Amino acid sequence: MIEFDHVTRTYGEKPAVTDLSLAIHRGELFALLGPNGAGKTTTIKMLVGLLRPTHGTVRICGHDVRKDPRAAHLHTGYVPDEPTLYDKLTGREFLWFIADMFGMSRHVAEGKIAREIEHFELAEFADDLAESYSLGMKQRLVFAAALLHDPDVLVLDEPMVGLDPRSVRIVKDLLRARTQEGMTVFMSTHTLAMAEEMADRVGIMVRGQLRFLGTIAELRDQMAVETTSLENLYLELTTARPAALPPAGS
Amino acid sequence: MAGGGIRATHSGTCRLISPEMESQVFSRLRVTIAWETLRAMLTGARLRLALVVLLSLVFWGSLYGLFVEGFLFLESIHAEVISLLFNAFFSSLMVMLVFSTGILLYGSMYCSPEARLLLTLPTRAEAIFSHKFHEAMWFSSWGFVLLGSPMLVAYGVVRGSPWTYYLLLLPFMVAFVMIPATIGGICCMAVVAWLGRLRVHALAIMVTLVFAGGAWLGWSLLGAGGPGGGTTEWFDQVLARLAVAEQKFLPSWWLSSGLLEAAREAPRPDLRLAALLESLKFLAVIVSNGMLLQLLARGLARSSYRSGYSQLVGEVPARRQRRIAWIDQALSAAGTDAGRPLRLLLVKDLRLFRRDVSQWSQFLIFFGLLGLYFFNLRSFNYNLAYASMISFLNLAVAGLILSTFTTRFVYPMISLEGRRFWILGLLPVHRDQIVWSKFLFSFIGGLLPCCGLLWLSDSMLGIPRSLLWVHEACCVVLCMGLSGIAVGLGARMPDLREPSSAKIAAGFGGTLCLVLSSLFIMSVVIVAAVPTHLAMASRAFGGGGPPPTGLLGWASGPQGTAASLVAVGVLGVIATFLPLELGLRAFRRLEP
Repeated sequence: MIEFDHVTRTYGEKPAVTDLSLAIHRGELFALLGPNGAGKTTTIKMLVGLLRPTHGTVRICGHDVRKDPRAAHLHTGYVPDEPTLYDKLTGREFLWFIADMFGMSRHVAEGKIAREIEHFELAEFADDLAESYSLGMKQRLVFAAALLHDPDVLVLDEPMVGLDPRSVRIVKDLLRARTQEGMTVFMSTHTLAMAEEMADRVGIMVRGQLRFLGTIAELRDQMAVETTSLENLYLELTTARPAALPPAGS
Repeated sequence: MAGGGIRATHSGTCRLISPEMESQVFSRLRVTIAWETLRAMLTGARLRLALVVLLSLVFWGSLYGLFVEGFLFLESIHAEVISLLFNAFFSSLMVMLVFSTGILLYGSMYCSPEARLLLTLPTRAEAIFSHKFHEAMWFSSWGFVLLGSPMLVAYGVVRGSPWTYYLLLLPFMVAFVMIPATIGGICCMAVVAWLGRLRVHALAIMVTLVFAGGAWLGWSLLGAGGPGGGTTEWFDQVLARLAVAEQKFLPSWWLSSGLLEAAREAPRPDLRLAALLESLKFLAVIVSNGMLLQLLARGLARSSYRSGYSQLVGEVPARRQRRIAWIDQALSAAGTDAGRPLRLLLVKDLRLFRRDVSQWSQFLIFFGLLGLYFFNLRSFNYNLAYASMISFLNLAVAGLILSTFTTRFVYPMISLEGRRFWILGLLPVHRDQIVWSKFLFSFIGGLLPCCGLLWLSDSMLGIPRSLLWVHEACCVVLCMGLSGIAVGLGARMPDLREPSSAKIAAGFGGTLCLVLSSLFIMSVVIVAAVPTHLAMASRAFGGGGPPPTGLLGWASGPQGTAASLVAVGVLGVIATFLPLELGLRAFRRLEP
């Protein structure tokens, strides 16, 4: 569903992502981890079409994000780290706008909007202007908008920022249910506990290179430790000297 | 939580929509946002809305009256000059529209969160361009409509134009605006796509060239080298220089020609029809060229918008190491230890001002233009009464420009400390010192440009020294009062949660600040001007006879001048210390 094929992105002379090759399959929840400046946000932006790779190809459901962005976006839902809404639209109006952009018929859109309003418990403020929303309310609305068209691929950038524990539980339950139904989730997060709890596979990016790709158990095997948390494994991996660790897949 | 079960994939429920549907979706979005914005203003910002409507009507009416008088005067001496004036006016507006739309589109297409949202939806790049273009065009063209419509309506009234002329005004204006606005959009996308990192330099060069060209034209029009303005020879020279705007390939020429044809009054129906058809021909030329440019712009958006956006987002911002400026070091070190906290707060605000391009660039542009106007006052001959009147009007203008800055930038200063209030709150600084530092920053910052510009104005007008010092004294009072009003009201009605200074200034407090500032300026100028003009008038009507006696003699003499200065001083003290006291009391009690 998601393919990174030898993707490189440089900012001037400095490489932000180096030769990333990665495939994420249908129904998989993939968590991308890494320290600040590792290249996670760059990877996400290339995936959703905001940035073009310097080299290589990014595909979503077989569509090249660069050559055929509209087709790729039709399959994609995106939740950015900073939610963007129209201040002068209500939550419900925003969802209608998104539904119209995805070409949903009136009847179908009505049902799906009602569904997502219920899922994310937006009913209380769905008809208030977005300018009055707190950060958590905005994040929930953006989630609802991203899932409205039942995307094949959901891209999340720091999804839990601003969410209270109840909203975090709603999101987790929803992600579990949707991945079981076949949706692919690509998530960038600093919340290691969430990655440990939810992810089928994790990727750890350090200085633009994918240093590890696999399950938590495989990470423990690779680091030759038996019982330790993802936090300890992560810190071990991201603070080691680059020469000491080969890129993932080598 | 509801859910579960096999969910239909997207392909059963969503699809790529047609360009027409996309256009409709964006239109609905714009209409909804505009309606909601208007509703919010009607319910929450009535004072501001009423003020805007009222002042716009006053402005429109005043311009209309001026233009009617102007056209009557010009028609009586040189009817062809109107064509030249139209061409010059529309061609200069055309240049301004190119820049303003280009800059607005750059911000909305490449730097806004909305652009980021739309680029991640299955939206056509050219549809995003069209959506942002509509917004930018409305924002940048309202000034053209506000300035152009009274002129054009006045012309029609003076010429006794047929009703079809008035019907064609709006189509002509809208069609015309489309052309420079689209050119601005094309330039914006082209600069981003092809110049990349050099775009800032390219913009700076373009602005410099346009400014230099405009300054040269203005200088040559008004005549360098001394007085001489107002004579017939000077007028003919001005007209000859304005003829550069009469180029048949310029859209401004099509517009002015079309409007002049539409305005022509003909004695016979067949001649009226011929004039109307000729006018419609020009309208068709404007519309067709506008549509062609739109096609080109949409094609450019389709091919370059996403790549340009990626290029911009992928730029590494240049790192600039900031050292402590010498002025900051000097200000921090000067004076006693007791006043050091106040000086440090001043230094902080000065540093923020220097690093905020939007503030000091507007400051430079407005006061720079005022300086350019004052400098060219010497091109005309005046008698003393006329020069005195202009000098007081210039005092009012300088005050009004300063009041826009104090309302827009000084009034929100206390509010903008909101997010950093915890820093100030923990420092060993009394809250009063925070308020006084803002006042001193505003007062000192406004004093130099206003007093300097007024000195320039009076020198160009040949005002006597005694009157010049009266003006300077009034200027000091104005700076003090305007700073007191802005800082005092800002401390009295802070909005610590709002991060945007524009929104803070646009609220009730900002509007009140602007209104009170305007009333204060008018009061000071009128009180100061009365004795001077009584003296001028009595000399003018006395015809060399004995000086006036009684109240008129007192008011127009030195005692009257002294009394008016005292009154101005009292007004200044009230305007400064009353709002400051109210603000200080409220600020001491404030719990953020």
